[in-house]
Formats: sequence, structure tokens, C-alpha cells
Amino acid sequence: MKNDSVLPRGQGRRRGPEFPPYDTAAVAAILDRWRDQPGNLLPILHGVQQALGFVPPGAVGQIAKAINRSRAEVHGVISFYHDFRTSQPGRAVLKLCQAESCQACGSRELTAHAERTLGCKLGETSPDGAVTLEPVYCLGNCACSPAALLDGELHGRVTPQGLDRLLAQARRRP
Amino acid sequence: MWSELRDLREGQDLGTPPRGGEPVALVVDGKPVTVPAGSSVMLAAAAGSCPVPKLCATDTLEAFGSCRVCLVEIQGRKGYPAACTTLVEPGMVVTTQSPRLHELRQGVVELYLSDFPQEDVPGGWSELHETLQQVGVASHPYGQGENHLQAPVDESNPYFLFDPAKCIVCSRCVRACEEIQGTFALTIQGRGFASQVAASQGERFLDSECVSCGACVQACPTQSLVEKSLFVGGYHRAQPPKA
Amino acid sequence: MTIKICVPRDAAALSLGADATAAAIAKAARQAGQAIQLVRTSSRGMFWLEPFVEVETATGRVGYGPVTAEDVPGLFAAGLLRGGAHPLAHGVVEAMPFLARQERLTFARAGLTDPLSLADYETHGGLRGLRRALGMAPTAVVEEVVASGLRGRGGAGFPTGIKWRTVASAPAQPKYVVINADEGDSGTYSDRMVMEGDPYVLLEGMAIAGYATGASYGYIYLRSEYPHALAVLNEALATLRARGVYGRNVLGADFAFDAEVRVGAGAYICGEETALLESLEGKRGMVRFKPPLPAIKGLFGQPTVVNNVVSLASVPIILDRGGKHYADYGMGRSRGTLPIQLAGNVKRAGLVEKAFGVTLRQLIEDYGGGTRSGRPVRAVQVGGPLGAYFDQRLLDLPLDYEALAQHKGMVGHGGIVVFDDTVDMAEQARYAMEFCAVESCGKCTPCRIGSTRGRELIEKIVRGKDVARNHRQLLALCDVMENASLCALGGMAPWPVLSALQYFPGDFGLPAKEPAHVV
Repeated sequence: MKNDSVLPRGQGRRRGPEFPPYDTAAVAAILDRWRDQPGNLLPILHGVQQALGFVPPGAVGQIAKAINRSRAEVHGVISFYHDFRTSQPGRAVLKLCQAESCQACGSRELTAHAERTLGCKLGETSPDGAVTLEPVYCLGNCACSPAALLDGELHGRVTPQGLDRLLAQARRRP
Repeated sequence: MWSELRDLREGQDLGTPPRGGEPVALVVDGKPVTVPAGSSVMLAAAAGSCPVPKLCATDTLEAFGSCRVCLVEIQGRKGYPAACTTLVEPGMVVTTQSPRLHELRQGVVELYLSDFPQEDVPGGWSELHETLQQVGVASHPYGQGENHLQAPVDESNPYFLFDPAKCIVCSRCVRACEEIQGTFALTIQGRGFASQVAASQGERFLDSECVSCGACVQACPTQSLVEKSLFVGGYHRAQPPKA
Repeated sequence: MTIKICVPRDAAALSLGADATAAAIAKAARQAGQAIQLVRTSSRGMFWLEPFVEVETATGRVGYGPVTAEDVPGLFAAGLLRGGAHPLAHGVVEAMPFLARQERLTFARAGLTDPLSLADYETHGGLRGLRRALGMAPTAVVEEVVASGLRGRGGAGFPTGIKWRTVASAPAQPKYVVINADEGDSGTYSDRMVMEGDPYVLLEGMAIAGYATGASYGYIYLRSEYPHALAVLNEALATLRARGVYGRNVLGADFAFDAEVRVGAGAYICGEETALLESLEGKRGMVRFKPPLPAIKGLFGQPTVVNNVVSLASVPIILDRGGKHYADYGMGRSRGTLPIQLAGNVKRAGLVEKAFGVTLRQLIEDYGGGTRSGRPVRAVQVGGPLGAYFDQRLLDLPLDYEALAQHKGMVGHGGIVVFDDTVDMAEQARYAMEFCAVESCGKCTPCRIGSTRGRELIEKIVRGKDVARNHRQLLALCDVMENASLCALGGMAPWPVLSALQYFPGDFGLPAKEPAHVV
């Protein structure tokens, strides 16, 4: 089935579609930090997301090349894990726990309140771009349900009023 | 023994790659079978002419254990181990057919059919259809639920097309691209029910790292990946019968 | 005279404002011209009282809680620094009934120490286990753990010593110790408490495991939802290296050991040991079939010990006081103690470490004080999202592996989630399938497709659509998932569903008298 005359070989053909530009130097620095470490793909992806806010699709090729794996493999890994995003989130990310302990203490109502207040559903970003609202399944704060994580800051026994304060705080982020 | 296996292999898919090892004697469905150590129970059953129904296993690829169709009963062991990932042991007593296994296999295959174009079930001749016959299932009890039947067909490659509606996520294509071809152009994107075969970063096959070797097309048991030459006048998805 | 005041730095305490409380105390002390030593300790695990402030007095540590920053001025006025009376006062902490009736072995230091002070750790018995182990033959260390009867506290309950024996006798090198710190079950936080509150006990246990099995490197696979634990563990590792506890010569012995933390990325299935190993190897977290066991062919194909956080945190005391000391707690085949985590709609949510044998009712009512809402307890889920829901009738069951297994329940990680009578059990069952669908790795059909069909069937039943037929189909589907799935996620997702159907059929619109489906 391979027919070189129809499908010329070479990197150009296999670079895939054009991706938007991104900070290649930042990615290079992370790749350098994790060079030769066994099983380094997840730490690399975490590093890129921490530096750039998300993992740019264009960076997949750069990462794949550095760790000697295919773009397909790297894409498969990124798409498997819910933490990794491929586009810029809102200025703040609010994760509301959806799991059983928080359910027992009103997380469903709290989530509905957040959706109404922000004007978006779980998994979406508010229309003003301020807050991305995401589900999370357990924050380990089950003695203080319901729990929320706002940009890495943990909150417990969150009430609708408390949530309003958090959202106001989130909206003020630059 | 090696040559016997090779002869068998000419006409039959043994399920898992043949190994060379010391002979191991076991019993499958009451029949004594001897295969090399390192062989799977699936291969032993095939060698003993009691082949176990399968979908994700094929003897050109390492066992994967995902479809859960090839379940068998092994004396002294709890549960229903997969024949493809279970290695033979001396004196093992295997049952490949029983009412319970029949029930479980049917249950598994019904789940597959609940996300498969129903119009493509009758009259087909892929490996999937063979398995449907062996397991005795032609329909499913789940009604209309979430599915992947509307996912677009990728006809970018001149030689083959990919119709995701028929994909059962057995990963044989991904594994073939890894193990046989060594190109690693395919992956499964997403996870769980959203799992989808993807070329490179979810591109058209033609734009991706695919080198068009056809190993994935050969490996696909449902004709989700299929040679275009089979379709005179082009590929058309069958329309579902009017409600 | 400097007065010692303790305010926890545990994430749960922080989530309720402990940093603001600590700052307010420092400010108030300055204003009062009183010298204090403000120590950020681990939490005692009495979370309904967090932020819990303890003052060192002549009669011992006296506790106040929950103390918000706003409460501080009033407390100072009431004589906080002398352990004075106040509505938020709880007297001498060690005498509080919630704590006094526990049997804390693994959590012996909870609330007492500064988690990152190695000196504090050693003062309270730390590193004694490792020192003793290093003076024994590695096989003797393994046998001590076997003698303790310690069973994996992650959920599977596999005898830890037997696992170590397998790795120890595997010839291949290198070998690894992997800590499963992907504590994803709702209702569980004991791992988090250990990692944040007593990181050295975990790292000591890890080194002992390495010594006993011949592994010289360890990985802690930590879920990304625990950022505080990550920071504490990394600092603890740095300290151990600087003090010669980790490195080329552990405590001066001819044994090298080091470890690092690797962070997960939002996948509950990576708490399943083989998916965890795939993730550590930089791949999609797909479940591997077993055999081969990780003990023989694990991380990068090498012999690997995979242990839960609490399991390894229980090892130092076993080496320090001997396996028999640990085994003398407990009952039947469930030896030692279990750190139980009370969670959900419960008045006094917190950590209760007890020998096996305490009943669910005792835990929920005597320790927990019933529901937080004050309404009756209607359902309890034990063991995480894959555990059965029990109703009132089953609460006299003792918390032990065999007793719960008989009722298709499980001890799991020791988490207990309490629901009051506002719970809709059909919705909980629907969620069980939804959670399985969200977290399914997608490899095997019964879980990948079955969980979605299961959710759809429950939705149809609740909507009143073709109820009898869909109920029968749901039971048949649960049978397929239980018996044909590749791992326990698909295999046990039916348990909460079947238990909800059995004990709360009315919530589904099903008649109360159902043909007995034995759960």
C-alpha cells in the first residue's frame, strides 16, 4: 500500500495542520529541566501548563521530538487527563467538588447557584471570560463539605453566600 | 509443535502470538491440548479446535484484554478470566462454552451493538460479524442512547477510509501501528465513552504521521478502517431505517 | 514567658481560614505585648472544630474551636493565653472524648508536631523503626511486617508483608517502591492528613520498604488535587536529604535510597495500581491485565512494591514495636487499626483511628454525633464511590473486611459518607454510573459502554419509562459489569447501584417488595 509517488516522505508532510504560535522558549526550558528523566511526559505537560496556562497544540510536536515519541502518543496522553487543557481558561479557575461527600452537604445546589451566577455551565467559561467553572471529583476536604478550589486555594463548608464572595474575588483577578 | 502452529495459523487466527517454549499439557473442553509455555489459553483453545469468540485479539498483536468477549472458565479460579491474557499452565482445565459464559458474552456484545450502526449488522462479513454469529447476538436491548454514529468519515487517504461509527475501540489499529509498523501514528484520544481513534493530533489521516502502510486496515475487525477499493462508486453510510 | 500556641496548617483547616486565625493571634499577642511561639502543626483531625487553636498550659494543651479571625480579640479578652473559659473552649485536648476513645497508632502524632520539623518527629518516636530495620537482615524486616498482619489500607486489603516477600525474592534489578497517593475516593482524607501532617512517617516507611525489598528508589504518585501535600512532601524530602536520612547512606548505613513526588493529572483510575504505573511511565492511565503482578513486572517492567500511604505509614511503628504489637489490635483476619474518616452530612466529621471491630453506628452516632443537618441518617456509603450504600438496618455491622464483604460492602479506604433523609438514592445510583463513565479509562467494554448505558437505564426508570423491563435490564447490565470488567472500577460500580435498588427501591419508583436480588 505504500506508494512513494503519491505520498512524498519528509517531515513537512507529517507536520500536520498549522497551529497558532506559542512560547517555544518556555517549553524548551521545561523540556530541558526534565531531559532524560524516566516517564517525564506528565511532569513536562504540568510544567508547560503552569508556565503558559494551557498546553498549546503547537507544542505537541516540540515535546514529542524532545522525548522521542510521536505526536499521536503525546496527544493521546494530553487528551486522557482532565487536568490538561489545550486553550486558555478564564482569568480564574473555580473547581467545585461533585462527589458523594459534598453531595451529602448540598454541592448540587451550590453548583446550580454557581452556574446561574456566572451564566455558564460546569466545564465552561463565563461569558465575560473571568471564571472557568469546572467539576472536580474529591478534594480530600470531605470533613468540610462542600468544598471548592479557586486557583489552588482550598475552601470548605462553602455556602451560596460564601460562593458569591469567592466569585467576586475571582472576577477581580487581572 | 511450532510447525503445527504455523500450519494452523495459515487458515486460522490463533488469537495471540505463538511462542516457543517447553510443551504444556492442559485440557480444553474435555480435550487434551499441548502448546508451548508462554502461550495463551486462547491459543490453546484454537489449537484444540475449540476457538473462543474474540474481537480485540489477533495473533499478529500482543494480547490486550479489552473486549471481554473471550471470557472462559478455569477450574479452581474465581471469575471469568480472559482467554487472551491468561497463560497456560500444566494441568489447567478450561471450559470455553457454558450457559454462564454465553450469557456474559452476549451481554458484552450487546453493549458493542448499542453503539454500532444497526443497518450494518445484517449481511456483513467482517470479523465482527463472525463474532456476532458465534455469540448469537444480532440486536441490543438498549434503545436509542448516546453514540458515535454521526462522527464524520475520514476519506483523506487515497487507499483507505476511516468510519468512526463502526469503531469498537479495540485498539487493534493503534497496536498495529506501534507493534507491526513502529510508526506510532495512531492513538486513542480522550477516554471512557469519549474514546476515539485519532491520527496524530486528531488530524486527517493524510495530514498525520501515518505512512499509509495499511497495517491498521488489515488489523481492523469491523471494517471501520477499510480499503476504498471495496466500494465501487464510493463509500456511503447506510441510512438508518425510517422510524 | 513565651506561650506556645498551635494553629494547624492542614489543608482542611486552611480551607476554613486558619491562616487568618493565626495572623490574628500573632497580631493580638503583639498588641497585648505577650511573647508567643506560634507553631503551625498538623491537625488533630477534629475538623468540625477547625480552625482549632491549642494553647500550651501547665495542665497540658487546651483547645478552642472553631476559631475564626473575628473570634480572636474576644478570646484574648477571655484569657486565651491562660486557657481561660470561653464558649469556644474544649478543655484539655487529650481528654476530649472524640480523641480519648481512639487507638491512634498511625496517627499518634496528629496535632502534636510541626510536620516539617525532623526534631519534633524524632522526639515523638520518629526514625526508630528505620534505625531498627537497618540493623536487621532485609528478610527479617519483611517477616516482621508479615507478622503484623498489616493489610493494604488502600482498599484491596492485600497482606502487605506477602507483597514485600514477592518483590524481595524477585531477582531483577532495579526495583522500585511506589506510593499510591492518588486518594480519590470521596469521603477519604487520611492519606492527605498523613502527607501534610506527618510526612516523615511516610518517607520513613518508604525507606524501610526499599531496604526490605532491595529497592533504592521510590516514587510518590500524588493526585494533583492535593497541592498542599505536594509542597509539604517536597520540603520534607529536601530536609531528609540534607540530614542524611535519604541519599547514598541512609542514616549512615550501607543502603542508598531516595524518592521523588510525581503529580497525577485528574484521573481517578490512576489510583488503580497498574493504571498508576502506566501514568508514571508517561502514558495514558490505562489498566493493565494481571498477571503479571507489579511485584514482578511493575514500573518500567521491574519488580515494584505498590503500597498505599497509610499502609506505609504504619510500617515504622511495626518495626519499632514489633509486628505482634500491631497484630494484637483488631479481630479475625483484620489486624491492627484502621484510620476511619467520617465525612458528609455528619456533625463531628473527623479522623477516628480504632482497632477493627467498632460498628458503623458507633462511629456515626457516638463519634460523629449524627447528622450535621440534625435530620435522621438515611443512607451511609462506606468505602468510597464503589462501596455499597447501607440503610439504618445495617449500621450495627462492625467495620471489618469480612463482615462488610458479606453484605457487598467494603471497608475500602475507611471513608464513611453520611446522608440524611433528604437524599434521593436513585440520584445517587445514577451518579455512581455517571462517575464510572467520567473516570473510565475506556479500555474494556463493560465499563466504557456499560457505565453510560447504566446511567441511561436509571434515568429511564426514574422517568417512569418501561420500568419493569429497564429494571431487569439494569440488573443484567450490572451482572455483566461485575463479572466481565477488566478492573474494579467497572467491576464494582454496580455495588452502589444494586444496594440503592435493594434498600431504597421506592426512590426509583419501584415497588417495595422486589424479588430478592442478593446484593
